[in-house]
Amino acid sequence: MPASALVRPAADSRLPTPDQPVIEARGLVKRYGGAVAVDGVDLVVAEGEIFGILGPNGAGKTTTLEMVEGLRAPDAGTIRVAGFDAVADPASVRRVIGVQLQTTALFDYLSAAELISLFGGLYGAPTPPARADELLALVGLTEKRASRVDQLSGGQQQRLSIALALVNRPRVVFLDEPTTGLDPQARRALWATVRGVRDGGATVVLTTHYMEEAETLCDRIAIMDRGRVIALDTPAALIRNLGMAATVRAHVGGDTLPAAALAALPGVTTIVPTDDPTALRLQTSDAQATLVGLLALAEAHRVSLTDLASAQATLEDVFLALAGRTYEQDEQDEPAADSHRPPAKRGRRR
Amino acid sequence: MPALWSMIQANLKMSVRNRTALFWNLAFPAIFILIFGAVFGRDAGVSFTVGIAGEASALRDGTVAAMEAADAFAVEQGDAAAELAELEDGERDVVLVFGPAGADGRPAIDLAYDETDGPNARIAVAATRQVLLGVAGGETPLAIAERAVTSTEVSFMDFFVPGILAMSLMNSGVIGLSTAFVIYRERGILRRIKVTPFPLWAFILARVASQLLVAVAQSLILIVLARLLFDLHLRGNPILILAVILLGALAFLAIGFAISGFARNAETAASYANLVTFPMLFLSGVFFAVDSAPAWLQPITRLLPLRYLVDALREPMTRGRGIAEIWPDLLVLAATFVVAMAVAVRFFRWDARGA
Repeated sequence: MPASALVRPAADSRLPTPDQPVIEARGLVKRYGGAVAVDGVDLVVAEGEIFGILGPNGAGKTTTLEMVEGLRAPDAGTIRVAGFDAVADPASVRRVIGVQLQTTALFDYLSAAELISLFGGLYGAPTPPARADELLALVGLTEKRASRVDQLSGGQQQRLSIALALVNRPRVVFLDEPTTGLDPQARRALWATVRGVRDGGATVVLTTHYMEEAETLCDRIAIMDRGRVIALDTPAALIRNLGMAATVRAHVGGDTLPAAALAALPGVTTIVPTDDPTALRLQTSDAQATLVGLLALAEAHRVSLTDLASAQATLEDVFLALAGRTYEQDEQDEPAADSHRPPAKRGRRR
Repeated sequence: MPALWSMIQANLKMSVRNRTALFWNLAFPAIFILIFGAVFGRDAGVSFTVGIAGEASALRDGTVAAMEAADAFAVEQGDAAAELAELEDGERDVVLVFGPAGADGRPAIDLAYDETDGPNARIAVAATRQVLLGVAGGETPLAIAERAVTSTEVSFMDFFVPGILAMSLMNSGVIGLSTAFVIYRERGILRRIKVTPFPLWAFILARVASQLLVAVAQSLILIVLARLLFDLHLRGNPILILAVILLGALAFLAIGFAISGFARNAETAASYANLVTFPMLFLSGVFFAVDSAPAWLQPITRLLPLRYLVDALREPMTRGRGIAEIWPDLLVLAATFVVAMAVAVRFFRWDARGA
């Protein structure tokens, strides 16, 4: 299995601890009934970074976030957020964090500006109108200041939720799947907002199950699967460490190609299992050599190759290498967006 | 404290903008008052139409004379069968059929009334009896007629408005609060509040405080409406009545809060709430006195908190009674609040998942 080729980060072999960790979580465990939702997670987040927690639905991302936010007590482990103990003193943590939840969690019958004022009130004093305008501008909702929540689109509601997470000028902002359910354009607008939040001086921790989002938006990523962190690094380093440059894909017409011959092609590191028997997917350290060899092999076996393509390695390949299965398989198997459901039935899929 | 006030203000804003809740809390009871008021509550001095038929006698003549002299009666005379038919058509409140004179020289009298006419018929029968007894006993008929008017001075509206007040307090408390909290939980609003420094208990307190303010405003509007349109008589100590409104609202808010702990979503919350409120609406004396319910139902009505709120509002409002008479009702309402609140706290979930 290619996973052996990669360094699976154990607790002591992880990245050097960032100089000024704003979040430091060690050995987090959370069980629901008999199921283990989070199984020994360590996270260290540096001040001022955009930190992503990536993983398929049910990987334990939301539960991890909830423990760091002080919303749920871990069954084991320690958490410090901005110098406060999130387990013993969640009240202090709440003052210095801002949270956007997966569900929209907005009151009906209030306008965007009224909601911002109200949330300021919950921290002690209603948000002054000037500050509310500033927040609305940051999330691109200046024109919607007087609109009621139910008149906003899904993307606008998400961005309003982010504005609400900023009313107390938090040191850490948590965004739980901020772009789920948004169209590509709204997603890009939200990325810009997230960068704006970071540039405003806050550390951002977000969860996502979109590979592309993690790759383009995050400074560092923890990849979670089945309650564990299986990799933690910058997106570039994760891909580099994979020891592969690209994926070669094709559809095979006529006969099938022998697996042994495919594995022996120059540069091939892995034959990726696919659901479609005619689909071929090879991970390679040398795309050119592999392509040349593959074409010769197809010629020799008199099979036709269609949709031949080579693509640069992505986080998706990293997940595949580490988790031993493709990311899409998970996403298809688990259409429910309920990513914090305890992973009770997962064994079946191994 | 400023946080609590921000939340109360926001809640009040939301209450005023929530059309559905406004309808159920305000328009619905107001419509009841308008309809029932138009049908039953026109004037305080009720007038009954009495049909008189049968054999001629001194008693019959005396009765007709006495009734015609009194404001409370309109007399129609005719054939017994025709008058009874008019009664069945709802054109008469009472029909008296005089028989032939008996051994003592007095005729037997048949008194027929429409039993579907409810409290109205009972009052008509009682007033008619008074007149008959007066005429037979030789007393001044006028004096008796005056007593009949006195007995109807508690107008239908006086009886009805406290019941409707109790109903609207129950509905806004049980139905309003249970669905509101389930929706807060479903949408993650409780969870969102939990990651701010604003404690969840303060959030709940703010909601209860704003519901109490709404309940008082709602009661005032209904009372003023009934007073302007239907000449509602207000008796009793206003402070006591206000206190009963607040205690009643609290008891039903606690029931609504308890329901929200059990209901999985807004739909189940609404059906549980209806399951609780619907029987109470009919068995607690909102529309008619509980005493007129069949005997086997009486013990059941004693288990319903709404009965005690109706009683605690009606006794002071219609009869001017004080705390000395209604304290047992208040005790039951306070106990309801305590028990429901204990259940609510025990089963409270801020998260759809429990845990």
